[in-house]
Amino acid sequence: MAYLIFSISLLLIYMGLAQLLHVQFGMLGIPNFGVVGFWGFGMYGVAVFNVQFGWPFLFALVITCLLVAILAYGLGMLILRLEGQAILCATLAFSAIVTLLVITEKWLTFGVVGLGTIQYPVRIGAATEIIYFMLLLLIIGSFQLAINKLHQSRLGRLTIAIRDNEELAASLGKDTFKTKLILFTLTSCLMGMLGGLSAPLNQFLTPNMLVPGVTFAVWIALVLGGKENTFGAMLGVFITFGLFDILVETYLPVSPEYAVMVPNFKLFLYGAVLVAVLVYRPAGILNNRQAHTRWPNADLS
Amino acid sequence: MKIRVRNLNKSYHLHPVLALQEAEFGAYELEGLIGPNGAGKSTLMGLLTQRIPPTSGNIWFDIDGHEHNLRTMRVHEVARLGLVKTNQRIQGFESLSIRDSLRLAATAHSQETLRGVLDKNQIDDDIESEIDHYLSLFSFSNPNGYALSGGEKKLLDILRCLVLKPRMLLMDEPTAGLPDDITQQVMRLVVEKARAQQMRVLIVEHDLELIWSFCDYVHFLSDGEMLFQGTPENVKKNRVVAEKYMGV
Repeated sequence: MAYLIFSISLLLIYMGLAQLLHVQFGMLGIPNFGVVGFWGFGMYGVAVFNVQFGWPFLFALVITCLLVAILAYGLGMLILRLEGQAILCATLAFSAIVTLLVITEKWLTFGVVGLGTIQYPVRIGAATEIIYFMLLLLIIGSFQLAINKLHQSRLGRLTIAIRDNEELAASLGKDTFKTKLILFTLTSCLMGMLGGLSAPLNQFLTPNMLVPGVTFAVWIALVLGGKENTFGAMLGVFITFGLFDILVETYLPVSPEYAVMVPNFKLFLYGAVLVAVLVYRPAGILNNRQAHTRWPNADLS
Repeated sequence: MKIRVRNLNKSYHLHPVLALQEAEFGAYELEGLIGPNGAGKSTLMGLLTQRIPPTSGNIWFDIDGHEHNLRTMRVHEVARLGLVKTNQRIQGFESLSIRDSLRLAATAHSQETLRGVLDKNQIDDDIESEIDHYLSLFSFSNPNGYALSGGEKKLLDILRCLVLKPRMLLMDEPTAGLPDDITQQVMRLVVEKARAQQMRVLIVEHDLELIWSFCDYVHFLSDGEMLFQGTPENVKKNRVVAEKYMGV
């Protein structure tokens, strides 16, 4: 039971990351390949402040979020004027730097030895995990509400315009760089917050948690679910992480002689689903693009 | 309302594309800018709106006696001053419907903030009635849907600029890609607004009939230099223009 709650809590964290990536990439067109960097910085930040400095969890979380916001703002200033591929490389490099610093700065992070134990902010005996899960549920729910609200707002309309044609949006008097910078900083800071909230879940942190695989998992989930749809992120994580990682890998009833095949079989299914989605629904399962955009008219009539 | 240009130069890889010593646009209600292909007309328009950075020189935008140096401004700041350009090639937001695209243009940037996300009422009635007005003037195949054909996209591009209520509108080949009847409708609307002193207009166009019939003043650009300026009658009669452009 405890394992199930842990798994579902982690699923919620991934959902949150995918939701934030939906705002960054699906709405603004910023290809952030450094998700694990922001998330990992948040996680280690809270752990270091909490364990090494003895700060209370909530205070550590707030300070960490501020630090991530400053980092994201600085990074955004440097890269958000650049082309997509450059942003992709820069954010990927950023996350690699975070991981490397966690390994090398042993005085702060204990390097590969690992850092722990991070206690839950509130401890109510056996119910602690469930309460914490509820808290995460509340946060992911409010993320979803905020995203719905953003989609209906004037700012949301502007983000879609920037994604489609940034130069044209600027020529209509929109400060596209500032819009991107503000939203990139905010969403990256929230990725850091999700990292901070993951620290007590994992309790004991090692650098091998900060692998690019985290970024890729979030990206695959978002592309699978539908990067431009409000609920694409949730659905994508539910399928990849929920269905395959939790259901198939842990709870599928298989006889012991075949059990060894399950992880490979899971990856096989994972890949097959991704290929099928990309072939039949290139914009994701929840694809709300207009059909006509797939066959653009010839330029001049 | 005037744009003043001095010593404006643009070169690509040391190859000069445009060299204007001194020029003024917007002294008349409707002005034309003509010249052969490669004369630098579109480059000049890009320079005026700061979409293309100049190699050297200065551009001032005079609004009611107050001069703004456009050289130091970014694209969106120029647009906010009221200097707006329609596009020669088709540009658009493919995920925004016709109405949303016009709403985007009409919405003030002060409302597109994070705090604005919490506004209950995201629909502004003034904007809606203005958009209804424009959509009633032109027939889109589905005015509540998306711009489908190239012509509709081009028309939408021009309407987006008009919704911005520019002080000065630069039109880069408005007839290219537009059916004739729509072109006439657009031009009637633009001329009406210019005559009502709502905006000044500068048109780049190869359709000379359009230039002769609507413009009060014409600039002739060739090989990056302003060779001749004057009223349509004078430009028509000018030998240099005839030789260089009209192939007489």
